[in-house]
Amino acid sequence: MGHNDSGGSEKKSSESANDIQTFNAENLQSNMKVIYYSRTFLAIISGVIAGILGFTGLTGFIFYVLIMAITSLGLVAKAKFSVHSYFDSWNRIILDGFFGGLMSFVLFWTFAYDIVHIF
Amino acid sequence: MAEDLVLDTAIRDWVLIPLSVVMVLIGVLRYFVSKLMRSYQVPDAKIVKEGQVIVRARNLRSGANFIPSKAFRARRIYFSNEENGLLFVPKGQAQNAQAQMFSDPNMAMDMMKKNLSMIIPQTLTFAWVNFFFSGFVAAKIPFPLTQRFRSMLQNGIDLSTVDVSYVSSRSWYFLNLFGLRGLFSLILGEENAMDDTQRMMQMSGFGFDPTKSLSAEKDGLDIVQHEWALPKFEQRAEAVLRKLVS
Repeated sequence: MGHNDSGGSEKKSSESANDIQTFNAENLQSNMKVIYYSRTFLAIISGVIAGILGFTGLTGFIFYVLIMAITSLGLVAKAKFSVHSYFDSWNRIILDGFFGGLMSFVLFWTFAYDIVHIF
Repeated sequence: MAEDLVLDTAIRDWVLIPLSVVMVLIGVLRYFVSKLMRSYQVPDAKIVKEGQVIVRARNLRSGANFIPSKAFRARRIYFSNEENGLLFVPKGQAQNAQAQMFSDPNMAMDMMKKNLSMIIPQTLTFAWVNFFFSGFVAAKIPFPLTQRFRSMLQNGIDLSTVDVSYVSSRSWYFLNLFGLRGLFSLILGEENAMDDTQRMMQMSGFGFDPTKSLSAEKDGLDIVQHEWALPKFEQRAEAVLRKLVS
């Protein structure tokens, strides 16, 4: 999940009263796509892990939230802790793709759990 | 949970795993079939031209504060001049374009093809699952649920005593249908996810009138409050440099 370096040159320069949009829309979209990919990937992987470890009930969901929090942390670290030079708001890093990944997580969790523990 | 059901391992080997594998493979197949069936139509030169004009006007609007006000005014007049500006649409032409859009049979055909490539595999898979795997308790979800979910998860088995977290094969099919979307976007690339949204856009944009967006863009350009941003940048640069030095 590499970030594009050209996106790094976007600067937030809206200190004047009217906020000037200085984002490159394409780069922003590409960054969001990277987030979506990494979230989906980690949702699937964490689902398999949770299933194999045999988490049930609330434990599994806590595990998912934990993994997503770690993902957010990783993304922030990847953005060199200056979120505003890559994204337009914090919500992008923290929330985007959270619920989309949940469905994949539940599916793979169930799948791995059934294969390992039920039969 | 009163007592745990013991599921035969044969159910795992012959129902659970095949069902999931088939769902994935059908998704991949659908992707390639729809890629083959996608017809490329030569875009109309006039529509492309109008689209490009809109893009240019939008660029001007978003970058308005980075050019001097004189330059901005000149460009605005170039776009929204009442006599021969690029965004100005004569009254008579508006109707014409829309009528042309509606009478284009290619568009409806294309839409139908896309819809069919979506519906046919789903119907076939559902019929197949119903025929082969009806009535199996195929899986157990690892978290408890309330009774309300029974009709959702135990579609196809009529036992009210079974714990709700057991999933019938038909419902496992639905779980797969929704949950595999993320996997598809990973293995097939962005295009697969894009396809759905594009289809939606095309549906809502059927009979969409390009001249309307031209005049909307013109209005948007007219109300832009121009304020040159660059004079402030000197102070900004000074502040940044001072921060660096100190």
